Amino acid sequence: MISGRTIRLLPERAVAALLCAALAWPPCAAAADDGQWSLRELMSELGKTRRTEARFVERKYLRVLERPLVSSGRLIYIAPGRLEKRTLAPKPETLIVSADTLVIESTNRTRRTLRLQDYPVLWGFVESFRGTLDGDLDALERFYAVGLGGEPADWELVLAPRLEQMRAVISQIRIRGSRGSVRVIEVTEAQGDRSVMQVFEDDS
Amino acid sequence: MRLRARIAIVAWVALLAASGWIVARAQYSTDLAAFLPRSPSAAQQLLVDQLRDGVVSRLILIGIEGCDEAACAQLSRALRAKLDGDPLFSYANNGAADRLRADGELLIRHRYQLSPAVTPARFTVTGLRAALEGQLDLLASPLGMLAGRMLPRDPTGEFAAILYRLQAQNAPDLRDGVWFSRDGSRALLVAQTRAPGFDLDAQERALARIRGAFAKAQAQAGAGGARLLLSGPAVFGVQSRASIRGDALRITTVAAVCIALLLLAVYRSPRVLLLTLLPVASGALAGVAAVGASFGAVHGVTLGFGATLIGEAVDYAIYLFAGTGPEAPPDRALARIWPTLRLGVLTSVTGFAALLFSGFPGLAQLGLFSASGLIVAVLVTRWVLPALAPASYSLKVADRIGPPLLAAIAQARPLRLPLLAAVALCAGWLVWRGGAAWNDELAALSPVPQAEQRLDEQMRRDLGAPDVSELVIVRAATEQQTLQTAEAVGGALDRLVEAGGLAGFDSPARYLPSEAAQRARLAAIPDVRTLRRNLAAAATGLPFRSGVFAPFLREIEEARHAAPLTRRDLRGTGLEAKLAGLLVERRAEWMGMLPLSGVADPDALARALRGFDPAHVALLDLKRETDALYRGYRTRVLSFSLLGAAAIAALLLVSLRSLRAAWDVLAPLAAALIATCALLAAAGVALNIFHLVAMLLVVGVGSNYTLFFHRSARQDERPARTMVSLLLCNLSTVIGFGLIGLARTPVLAAIGSTVALGAALSLVFGAILTARVPPVARY
Repeated sequence: MISGRTIRLLPERAVAALLCAALAWPPCAAAADDGQWSLRELMSELGKTRRTEARFVERKYLRVLERPLVSSGRLIYIAPGRLEKRTLAPKPETLIVSADTLVIESTNRTRRTLRLQDYPVLWGFVESFRGTLDGDLDALERFYAVGLGGEPADWELVLAPRLEQMRAVISQIRIRGSRGSVRVIEVTEAQGDRSVMQVFEDDS
Repeated sequence: MRLRARIAIVAWVALLAASGWIVARAQYSTDLAAFLPRSPSAAQQLLVDQLRDGVVSRLILIGIEGCDEAACAQLSRALRAKLDGDPLFSYANNGAADRLRADGELLIRHRYQLSPAVTPARFTVTGLRAALEGQLDLLASPLGMLAGRMLPRDPTGEFAAILYRLQAQNAPDLRDGVWFSRDGSRALLVAQTRAPGFDLDAQERALARIRGAFAKAQAQAGAGGARLLLSGPAVFGVQSRASIRGDALRITTVAAVCIALLLLAVYRSPRVLLLTLLPVASGALAGVAAVGASFGAVHGVTLGFGATLIGEAVDYAIYLFAGTGPEAPPDRALARIWPTLRLGVLTSVTGFAALLFSGFPGLAQLGLFSASGLIVAVLVTRWVLPALAPASYSLKVADRIGPPLLAAIAQARPLRLPLLAAVALCAGWLVWRGGAAWNDELAALSPVPQAEQRLDEQMRRDLGAPDVSELVIVRAATEQQTLQTAEAVGGALDRLVEAGGLAGFDSPARYLPSEAAQRARLAAIPDVRTLRRNLAAAATGLPFRSGVFAPFLREIEEARHAAPLTRRDLRGTGLEAKLAGLLVERRAEWMGMLPLSGVADPDALARALRGFDPAHVALLDLKRETDALYRGYRTRVLSFSLLGAAAIAALLLVSLRSLRAAWDVLAPLAAALIATCALLAAAGVALNIFHLVAMLLVVGVGSNYTLFFHRSARQDERPARTMVSLLLCNLSTVIGFGLIGLARTPVLAAIGSTVALGAALSLVFGAILTARVPPVARY
């Protein structure tokens, strides 16, 4: 069923693009926004999810380390705007983003509450996750130049930070998914460190 | 006789010339500390110093509103850039991160001297292992991205530890990278002046500089609608000086014109009018000169009182001119009233003299000013006016109003008992209310309008501090000893914070640790070979790449041989500005301040500080200390006022040689004061010490009335004339003080309304209780 829809969609787009290119017709402008249009479509698809729970495995490839740091746990998303990242291994730690605050709870240390406004880089970073899950294009575009590739069943968002102070830390964030679900988040830091988080939704 | 008059005039002119010379050379001050006691306790001395030139007194809060977020933020940045390099300011801050970044380099370079976590245990295998494991946790967490870059240089996380401690606890909201109010309508900045808070001329220059810089920034940005708001002690000081000046000048002028018009209408002689004003003008000039000569500087509030002298001194000439006529030349008319007038002046002077010994320079100035001004005014009336007055001037209008007045007074006697009953009720009510009638906050004395006090409060809340209310003060002979004491106290406070008894505190030692502490920290670092060995052992089994900590080993070895961080190294940084507010040298001793926030357990705090020598470590609760100071102040003024009242009673008893006569003179005054207090209290006015001072004035003015009423009952040859003069005196007093009562400066308003009310009641009560005239008047 899924592949059926994909097949039906593709030729239409290809035909339209060919027609525009060949005839240099005014509606070509519409075709140029075709990426934008499908970005909106993706966002509205993502925005449909009200609540989701998933398992994650995150690998951080750092220059100072010989081998990647691996952590795993659960992700809970509740629309709109609340995201919990509960790391279970190797050390339990909970991170909750809600509205303007970020709460970090770890077993050894006490609770720390940060206001995202005070940490623009962190805020932008958080918004890359949360904005995507919310399907909130405005939130994403506030911090990133957003590019979209792939197809609905296997799309890839490429986020390039706009703020200079953020570019000093993060060079790119790639988010891959299928339809309304996020599958992989890959963050490349300015100095070459990289982290890859795989997300496994409970029902898949 | 004529020779005596000539001598009097020459002496008078000489006095005026000398007074004018002194007044022209005198210094003028508006330092409210003059209204604080001269010899306070040690804690109060600290408090007074804080009010005069502490950090808080140097802070100017700046708000920019009336523009959208981006425009306000841009103006904030432009304004800060202009103020930052300005020699008038030690710093200007709007929360922008670039300042922290510049300081960051300094913090990184000196991290091993600044971080309290640097101890020998830190660099053992166990200590390093714990630090490395902590770093791994941090790398795994989302904050790792920010912290991870320092890892090769700083695996023990000293930089992060320093930053964490320096972070403001209640930082304001950031929007567009700069501080904003909670509701986002107003961009906020803070500037600290180099000049102390009491130097109002310097503060005025600083404020003008800010306004100029803002205007320039606004013009450059083209943000026409944006408004600049300024608040803080300096702003209040400068504004109230201007408004007291403006009030005093405007109201004195208006009052003088009104009284002059009234007198002109009654006298119908410009010459007599001018003569009436002579004693007042001479008295005011001599009063200011007396204060200038004996105190060196004349306080603004004392000058403001110049206006209030008009009230009583104008009366002297009125008493004289109401009594002159073809059959009574000025000399004779004066001789008739002189005994009564003399006693009246002595009464007033006795009241004010009590203030002279109150121990508060400001009040002593008021006392000296009033007493010397009144004496000069009555002497001018006695010796100078008769020589200058027209020979047979007669107050025509008195013959028309006099008889009905006497008739009315004659009718008033049955009102005695109801009046006494009403006054007794008032007194009972006041006693029942007790202390509630008093405003015990020093802020009540503030000449700052309430709307501006509220704005200040709100900006302070939005800025999250620096509302310093409780602080620990450490004192020692040298800077180093002070810092060491601050470190010891800081240790005790740290334990209290851990136990939850205190939310946090700041300390000068955070910005500049004592050399001893710095040396101890550097000495805790092992030599590079030991450290390398320990680090390698600690990293065994952890995933760190080998050689990754080479920068750490290099930098810590350099740090180990570094000279101690000094005040000089901090120059030009935000740390210097912070330190300047927390560590000062004064009167050959050093003083450090540790502001506390969120004291949850005052008992535990007291216990934590008990181990320290009270001569070096003291806890200061600014709010409580200030109000206690003021309460003591009020009690003291009250007792001196009562002393003055007792002296007045004794004076009258001795002069009149009759208990009955003293009662006649004093009872209406007491009744008027009680009724005035009750009326003010019923109107919701909380009494402060300026009301008390005003009541001394009421006694001064009112005692003249009752003395004349008393005389009218016995040896007055022309009671109708006397009654008219009293009415005229009272009208001029009520007009003069009624206008002062409308002043915007709370001090002047309190005095004006109290005296106007009290004087009017004294006259009416005197007419009812004391005056005794036959229904058919003689004149």
